[in-house]
Amino acid sequence: MSGLQLQQLSRRCGDRLVLEHLDLAVAPGECLALLGPSGCGKTTTLRLVAGLDPCSGGRILLNGEDITARPAGEREVAMVFQSYALFPHLDVGENLALGLRSRGIPRAERDRRIASVLELLQLTALVRRRPAQLSGGQRQRVALARALLRQPRIVLLDEPMSNLDARLREELRPELRRLLCGGEPPVLYVTHDQQEAMGMADRIAVLQAGRLEQVGGVRELYTDPASRFVADFLGRPAINWLPGRDGTALGLRPEHLRPRPEGGLQARPERREWWGHQQLLWLETPRGTLRMLLPEGAEAGAEGLRVGWRAADELWFDAAGQRLSAEGPWRQGLESGAV
Amino acid sequence: MIPLLAVDLLLMLPALLLLGVVFLLPLLRDAWLSLHASTVVTGLMAVPNGAANWWRLFDDARFRQDAFQTVRFTGVSVALELVLGLGLALLLHRPGRGRALLRALVLLPWALPTTVMALGWRWILNDPHGPLNGLLQAVGLPTFGFLTTPSTTWLAVVVADVWKTTPFVALLLLAGLQSIPVDLVEALQLEGAGRLTILRRLTLPLLAPWIALALLFRIAQSLGVFDLIQVLTGGGPAGSTESLAMYAYRQSLRFLDFGYGATVLMATFLLLLLPGVIWLLLQNRLPRRTA
Repeated sequence: MSGLQLQQLSRRCGDRLVLEHLDLAVAPGECLALLGPSGCGKTTTLRLVAGLDPCSGGRILLNGEDITARPAGEREVAMVFQSYALFPHLDVGENLALGLRSRGIPRAERDRRIASVLELLQLTALVRRRPAQLSGGQRQRVALARALLRQPRIVLLDEPMSNLDARLREELRPELRRLLCGGEPPVLYVTHDQQEAMGMADRIAVLQAGRLEQVGGVRELYTDPASRFVADFLGRPAINWLPGRDGTALGLRPEHLRPRPEGGLQARPERREWWGHQQLLWLETPRGTLRMLLPEGAEAGAEGLRVGWRAADELWFDAAGQRLSAEGPWRQGLESGAV
Repeated sequence: MIPLLAVDLLLMLPALLLLGVVFLLPLLRDAWLSLHASTVVTGLMAVPNGAANWWRLFDDARFRQDAFQTVRFTGVSVALELVLGLGLALLLHRPGRGRALLRALVLLPWALPTTVMALGWRWILNDPHGPLNGLLQAVGLPTFGFLTTPSTTWLAVVVADVWKTTPFVALLLLAGLQSIPVDLVEALQLEGAGRLTILRRLTLPLLAPWIALALLFRIAQSLGVFDLIQVLTGGGPAGSTESLAMYAYRQSLRFLDFGYGATVLMATFLLLLLPGVIWLLLQNRLPRRTA
């Protein structure tokens, strides 16, 4: 088996289970995003793989080899920290050299590798600057350069872009993908930002409270969520929830609601957000407030309208949050909305 | 509308006044007194005598001996405190059970009033009745005059000072250690760096400003040492542990030679100024670290 396998990985902190029997596999060159709210165990998973924290149970396999007990320094892991973890007393060149030096790589080889990675990331002009003299984006590139120098067997990224502004993040995403993904090492990418996960990753693993909720392709998770949590966590603006029978719930994405000449639910627009290419309407209906995304040109009268949706777009969940099929007694009372 | 500069000055005025009263005035008065004779002979009236006190100082073997002893005491005890304090700080910085309790325990010697702990040490080192000599006797060794041997008594003073002030250095350096982000250490760990490399390449360089601060505090304090030695040895035996501050005190308050006492004090002050100036120079040379 090549790539990275996590088998029944667990981590306990005192009495608290931070991570519970996690099973995950990342293929060589694949970028897997660990997505979830804070405290869900995604950073813990990363630290276990890096060897920075000990596992309480389970195994970590790299290319079929058990590395669970191996110390961090021998795992050949490249990690980009959320804080970038640049050494403040050293300039960019020395920051890059320190790791290579502590691994005993000869000077000529060191200089050659540093020069080429500086070139690649357009940092050559900044080589004598200290971290304090760099902008956020430049610091991020130095952290990336340090990770690239390693020739690692695993690449780990811990919220590498959360300290950058939205625009810069968008610009850096393809660059990060180009530089880190698609090579030999598997890539684990921790983020709480679904947009970043969708933009970066081949597959996404959604974690909640130390447990794996669902793992799958980006599109699969969005259109076919296994649990209410995943449906709720993915998608902006957030999914609408309508109560069904016996504690069931119907999820409807805002973009799946449509104005209808008849049928559906009677709705009154309460609030309107204009987003340029779209507008978001907050609708008051007999079933509660609904969010509806409309294309820019579409008009909804101020006095009221009727909204409906396609039956194929319905996402049903039971009281425990597990996915239900689209056909069943729970649809009773709401089928009128589907057109 | 009051100009901005005037507001600044106005706001600083209370602090400036306080500094002036408790620092500047006594200093000027001392400098002034060092150019006067003020002894029992002059009826404790200050009579100008030019630089006579200063000429006397340059020719004073006891002053030179005390200056040497003060600097020796400072150098040796501060060096020991730094090494032990760093070790202790590194030890206290490691995660583990009961760390808070350990930290409190370590701090105890420093919390003790100097005179009390000096009295304690005087008894511990007493010849022949102190516990230390008791131990020597118990293992069949002869007793030793820890506080009565002119060539080695200064070391006993160093031991007492190190015992008391190592915790202070340790605590200061511990604060420095805790200001180093864990990420940095982990990043270096992932590169396969061992503990020694991390200490040498990361911890010590980042700790440098804290070490400089500890040195400044300790050197300035040590050069002015008085209470510890006064209680522990009284400057003896044969003046072998007397410090400059003690000498100035004796000239003024025992021999009632206020003019010369002021001169010794002024010279001590100039000596104290030295580490401060060195520190300022070093600080300008050290790279600036802004977060």
